[in-house]
Amino acid sequence: MKLTLSFISLSLTISSLIIPSHASSSSLPSNSFLGIAPQDEDYFKGEIIKCKNGSKTFTKTQLNDDFCDCSDGTDEPGTSACPQGKFYCRNAGHSSSLLFSSRVNDGICDCCDGSDEYDGKVKCPNTCWEAGKVARDKLKKKIEMYHKGVALRREENKQAKQAIARDREELLALENEKDVLENLVKQLEGQIQKLEQEEHLEKEEKMKEASNEKVEKEKSETEEKVDSQKEPLKTSDEEKMGLSWKSPSNQNEKDEFQSTEGLSREELGRLVASRWTGKKTEDQVEEIDTAKRDYVGNREKEESAHDEHSINNALQFNENTQKHHEKGRNDAGDEESVADDVGSSSTHYNIRLEDHENSSDIATPSHQSWLVKIQETAQNILQSVNFYPTPVPNLDANQVRNEYNNYTTRLHDIESRISSLTEKVKYDFGIDNEFYLFYDRCFESKQDKYVYKVCPFKHAIQEEGRSETRLGNWEKFGSSYRMMLFSNGDGCWNGPDRSLEVKLRCGLKTELTSVDEPSRCEYVALMYTPALCLEEKLKELKQKLESMNREQPWSHDEL
Amino acid sequence: MKMKPFKIFLIFLLFLASQTVHSWKKDEFRNCNQTPFCKRARSRKPGACTLIAHDVSISDGDLTAQLIPKAPHDQDGDQIKPLTLSLSVYQDGIMRLKIDEDPSLDPPKKRFQVPDVIIPEFEAKKLWLQSASKEKIDGNDGGFSSVVYLSDGYEAVLRHDPFEIYVREKAGNRRVVSLNSHGLFDFEQLRVKKEDEDWEERFRGHTDTRPYGPQSISFDVSFYGSDFVYGIPEHATSFALKPTRGPGVDESEPYRLFNLDVFEYVHDSPFGIYGSIPFMVSHGKSGKSSGFFWLNAAEMQIDVLANGWDAEDGLLMPTLQSRIDTFWMSEAGIVDTFFFVGPGPKDVVRQYTSVTGLPSMPQLFAIAYHQCRWNYRDEEDVENVDSKFDEHDIPYDVLWLDIEHTDGKRYFTWDKLLFPHPDEMQKKLATKGRHMVTIVDPHIKRDESFQLHKDATQRGYYVKDATGKDYDGWCWPGSSSYPDMLNPEIRSWWGGKFSYENYIGSTPSLYIWNDMNEPSVFNGPEVTMPRDALHLGGVEHRELHNAYGYYFHMATSDGLVKRGDGKDRPFVLSRAFFAGSQRYGAVWTGDNTADWDQLRVSVPMILTLGLTGMSFSGADVGGFFGNPEPELLVRWYQLGAYYPFFRGHAHHDTKRREPWLFGERNTELMRDAIRVRYTLLPYFYSLFREANVTGVPVVRPLWMEFPSDEATFSNDEAFMVGNSLLVQGIFSERAKHASVYLPGKELWYDFRTGSAYKGGKIHKLEVSEESIPAFQRAGTILPRKDRFRRSSTQMVHDPYTLVIALNSSQAAEGELYLDDGKSFDFMHGAYIHRRFVFSNGQLTSSNMASPSLGRSGFSSDCIIERIILLEHTPGPKSALVEPGNKYAEIELGPLRLGGHGAAAVTIRKPGVRVAEDWTIKIL
Repeated sequence: MKLTLSFISLSLTISSLIIPSHASSSSLPSNSFLGIAPQDEDYFKGEIIKCKNGSKTFTKTQLNDDFCDCSDGTDEPGTSACPQGKFYCRNAGHSSSLLFSSRVNDGICDCCDGSDEYDGKVKCPNTCWEAGKVARDKLKKKIEMYHKGVALRREENKQAKQAIARDREELLALENEKDVLENLVKQLEGQIQKLEQEEHLEKEEKMKEASNEKVEKEKSETEEKVDSQKEPLKTSDEEKMGLSWKSPSNQNEKDEFQSTEGLSREELGRLVASRWTGKKTEDQVEEIDTAKRDYVGNREKEESAHDEHSINNALQFNENTQKHHEKGRNDAGDEESVADDVGSSSTHYNIRLEDHENSSDIATPSHQSWLVKIQETAQNILQSVNFYPTPVPNLDANQVRNEYNNYTTRLHDIESRISSLTEKVKYDFGIDNEFYLFYDRCFESKQDKYVYKVCPFKHAIQEEGRSETRLGNWEKFGSSYRMMLFSNGDGCWNGPDRSLEVKLRCGLKTELTSVDEPSRCEYVALMYTPALCLEEKLKELKQKLESMNREQPWSHDEL
Repeated sequence: MKMKPFKIFLIFLLFLASQTVHSWKKDEFRNCNQTPFCKRARSRKPGACTLIAHDVSISDGDLTAQLIPKAPHDQDGDQIKPLTLSLSVYQDGIMRLKIDEDPSLDPPKKRFQVPDVIIPEFEAKKLWLQSASKEKIDGNDGGFSSVVYLSDGYEAVLRHDPFEIYVREKAGNRRVVSLNSHGLFDFEQLRVKKEDEDWEERFRGHTDTRPYGPQSISFDVSFYGSDFVYGIPEHATSFALKPTRGPGVDESEPYRLFNLDVFEYVHDSPFGIYGSIPFMVSHGKSGKSSGFFWLNAAEMQIDVLANGWDAEDGLLMPTLQSRIDTFWMSEAGIVDTFFFVGPGPKDVVRQYTSVTGLPSMPQLFAIAYHQCRWNYRDEEDVENVDSKFDEHDIPYDVLWLDIEHTDGKRYFTWDKLLFPHPDEMQKKLATKGRHMVTIVDPHIKRDESFQLHKDATQRGYYVKDATGKDYDGWCWPGSSSYPDMLNPEIRSWWGGKFSYENYIGSTPSLYIWNDMNEPSVFNGPEVTMPRDALHLGGVEHRELHNAYGYYFHMATSDGLVKRGDGKDRPFVLSRAFFAGSQRYGAVWTGDNTADWDQLRVSVPMILTLGLTGMSFSGADVGGFFGNPEPELLVRWYQLGAYYPFFRGHAHHDTKRREPWLFGERNTELMRDAIRVRYTLLPYFYSLFREANVTGVPVVRPLWMEFPSDEATFSNDEAFMVGNSLLVQGIFSERAKHASVYLPGKELWYDFRTGSAYKGGKIHKLEVSEESIPAFQRAGTILPRKDRFRRSSTQMVHDPYTLVIALNSSQAAEGELYLDDGKSFDFMHGAYIHRRFVFSNGQLTSSNMASPSLGRSGFSSDCIIERIILLEHTPGPKSALVEPGNKYAEIELGPLRLGGHGAAAVTIRKPGVRVAEDWTIKIL
């Protein structure tokens, strides 16, 4: 076999004096246009051809002669001679592709039409038909999915739009209310001052002798108490910090030499191993976990307590508003009962709005009437107070104080709600605000023993049992809204602070599907959502399918 | 066992503290003063040795004598037993000196002689001495020496009183190497413990029972005509060994040879790290080299003595020659030493490797680029990394899996969740011609359900502790035991574990990495095994410590040979090593750190390894610990491309650092660097063959090629790859310039542009981010392959480019070696070895393969596609190719495809086959 081959090449070389460009190598393409895209063929039709980067020219015979002439590989599209070369596979029946020249005749079938392997060392069957069908089917499915996805996205965008409108409206209303309340509070403040001055004058004489020293004493006592309470709290905080992150000073390093001697052999083994691994020894892990668990536990308790509180308040608020609406309606025009109502309104309006999550119902039209109502009531109080000449009866003074307290509280609540809404609308929610509905939502994925929780615009955490690790705080969207970035998470031993990249893909449901840690403490997650089902992409896919159908000769049969 | 919470907390704090500042735990390791034998030996004064040679005679072809003290009793009045001395002579200028206790006098224990290091062929080279001549020493009252033949031009001399051994040139009686010229020789003979004696040694909570008491040996060795000494790896320090004692030495600590797993070792320290080769080479202005090797595997400490260290002792030494004195100390064993006369540096290396063996010939894939990380986590990760290389058109040959791939650090197993289909995974890589390496360490998990452990326990194959129980240490798997690799039966058993049947999930494209084989024991003294642990035949660990990793490497390598039915060359990377490890595979410089100093120190470390036989070595590209800045990483790739062993590796706490993760430009730069290696693979492979035949290392110091050029003697920032390429590393950030010394009288050509530079001077060069300076030496011919593939496997049929760098007489020569890249057939002549000579305007290719073996079995269809002539006057239009009487065109072309730089005279498509004889004449 080898003999005959070399005989052929020998006879070829003998036949001409100057070595013909194809004789020295057994692997020249039979078609000198091999590896050139059809739309590019015209470029190569002349006798003298330019390298595309203009570095040089080459002759027709030097095209695909398995010797690199152009630094950009223009002259060798069909061979492996130029490192910069690109080989075009037609792949009829499938989609065409461009290979690195390093793949040509390397013994591995890269093009499904097998055109990249022509030196006879390996036989590549044409698999474009099958592969193309599979690819087209896959693409069709994807297009179907995108169709649905695009519709879903549209629907969600609509909802987002509404939500934005609602939030803006609420914000406006709240700001309005805030103005009114501020005004009221100021007035009440004035009233109270006045009342107090009068009370003060009244009491002053009685008080004069009795209490001066006593008050001083009590005051200093309370101050001391507060201080002594603060002190231990502070140290325990520091301890906690020391335990979890900050390493102690060098002094402790010295201690190690003494202390390692006291270790058991196993402890020593674990300690030394931990230098390389950065892992704490098991016992230590447990210890830290407990510490952390306690800490987290506390935090959870606090949080849940807080949550309860705010939920209660929310309920109360709803109830109250409800009641008030009814009352407002019932009592309209009934002056007396309004005046009566003033007293009870103090309980009605003892409301906290803080952390009130789903409060879009405040911004309902009825709210307006409620606001009007407040104004009216307040007006009444002010007026009623004004009617009485000095001295003011105690009852009225108390009422005024109560009202004052209620309104300030209410004002605070509104202010904090305003600031959280202002905070919210400041975020970038995407091209069509398609991520607006992600705000206040968290997405979970369970993997082995971990539960990952991604809360866009807020943070991402990893939960293991009762302990949680913060993978990052919201940073921003990346790569044109195809990625969510969370950074500055909990620190990593000997490594970076944890961070998370959530790659976003088009899907019919918003769900977190996988979380991975390719580098230590650098997490990568995948999330599907209709928000990513873009119409342009759908168009692109359709075009791709069309071109695939066009390029494959059997498309008629298939249809 | 419960830890008290407070203690746990303390440990945790300490553990945190330990991360922050200096990580090298200097205090955890013994310095000389904490090592009684070292401290004792160092306190001895020159002339303290009173031994004289007695009963000097020739017996069994050796010169033998008894060493007896002048005063036959020691201070306590005990009789001092004589020692036996034998001096043998071997072909090629090698003298061997052995001194041991006299076995006929019933010493308490036979002292350990390291077996299986000296190759069997060496014994056959022994010259049987017939006679010794007696020579009277001038000026010494009646003193005599016995002189024997060593080789043409050299003699070995034994001076009787006081005893001294040296090698000298016959002509002019110039000394080469001598032993005990300063009378520092001391040999602590084994003896019975006296009642009041305490032989135990304690260090940081560990107790060494030392049941046999003191048994150390120390002596001085002098190198004559010497300006520098080199060798005795492994230390992270300069190539030319700095003095450790005497005038001008501040912190006096000897070079320590004690294989240790040192966490975050520091650069520029005489401290012992992973491997030990007690072989020293000297070199001097005369251009001559000599060598000294002490075959001893116990802890060794070596002082290089600064000039004038002995000033106050006033001993008379020959003063005409420049000289370097050294002082060698070992805790146990015997004196079994080898003197190498040189005279050239390559002669010394050849002589040394004739004793300890030549470097094995690696497979082609093994000298290409390796991609490693602790850890590629699972099959998906592997597949992803693999495909990214293709996506970025970056070639690589081997993907590595570190300890996490196993089921709970039980070697030979796979984590079933992460690697459910190991064989499929390997096969997938193999379809692209790529290989995989998995880690197999010597610590075996003490787990009753682990078959390997059960097997080893039942057979009694573990190293025993001082009480005779299986030694139980702590390593990655937790409680672990260590097979006794000193025992050939156990090595063979171990080797069998690599068969495809035993190593489930292994395939023919899988090779092995031996880590932690110092051995590393996390809870042992100095992070290793206690010295009183016991090996085969009651040998104490102290006696063979430095060779444990060597035997482990050997067992693994032999196992792979067995696996492949003796047809597949093994590839085993080891961290620990000893003299002779070159026969079993590659080594790397262990857990280095991602900083510029460690990049710099990698060069002297690799040069030292090469000089002492370990030709196949490299440092982790990028630095194991820490995150390299992209610039450092790029520079490391640019340098690493010239390491004999080229692998990127990283600690699991570091960020991912595969070449495509630092932006397009850096990807391009790293791709370029890796491609330099691939384009030079034919040259590297030829150099590995040269090492395999002559012992001359692939990467060598400048003075090995330019022995008389003094400016090169302490240069360890530049190195030679073979005889043709000089490479200078860039070891600083944002370097704009580099000073490069180019030795010799001929020109050097920039490896990338072809620009010519004069030899014999320092050039201040501009440096770009694109590459580190590299030059082809005028008068050489470099074979390249300029097509890049996925891996070296696909390059096999690709055509060659020859780069001819003409010297001042318009001549050049070079070699090319190739074989099947895989099997042992080359040992039976199945290879192609060509010699290319260019002179008188004509290039000739001729056969260098030995004619007796002929060209049996291996042929290649590869042709030469391009011949580039650097510094050839432009003008010629064609060349005549014979046989065939054909013409090839000549044009001006680039030195590097796709690169820039001056155009060079290029013969286009001469079309000749590498396997054949031909000539090409420039017309």
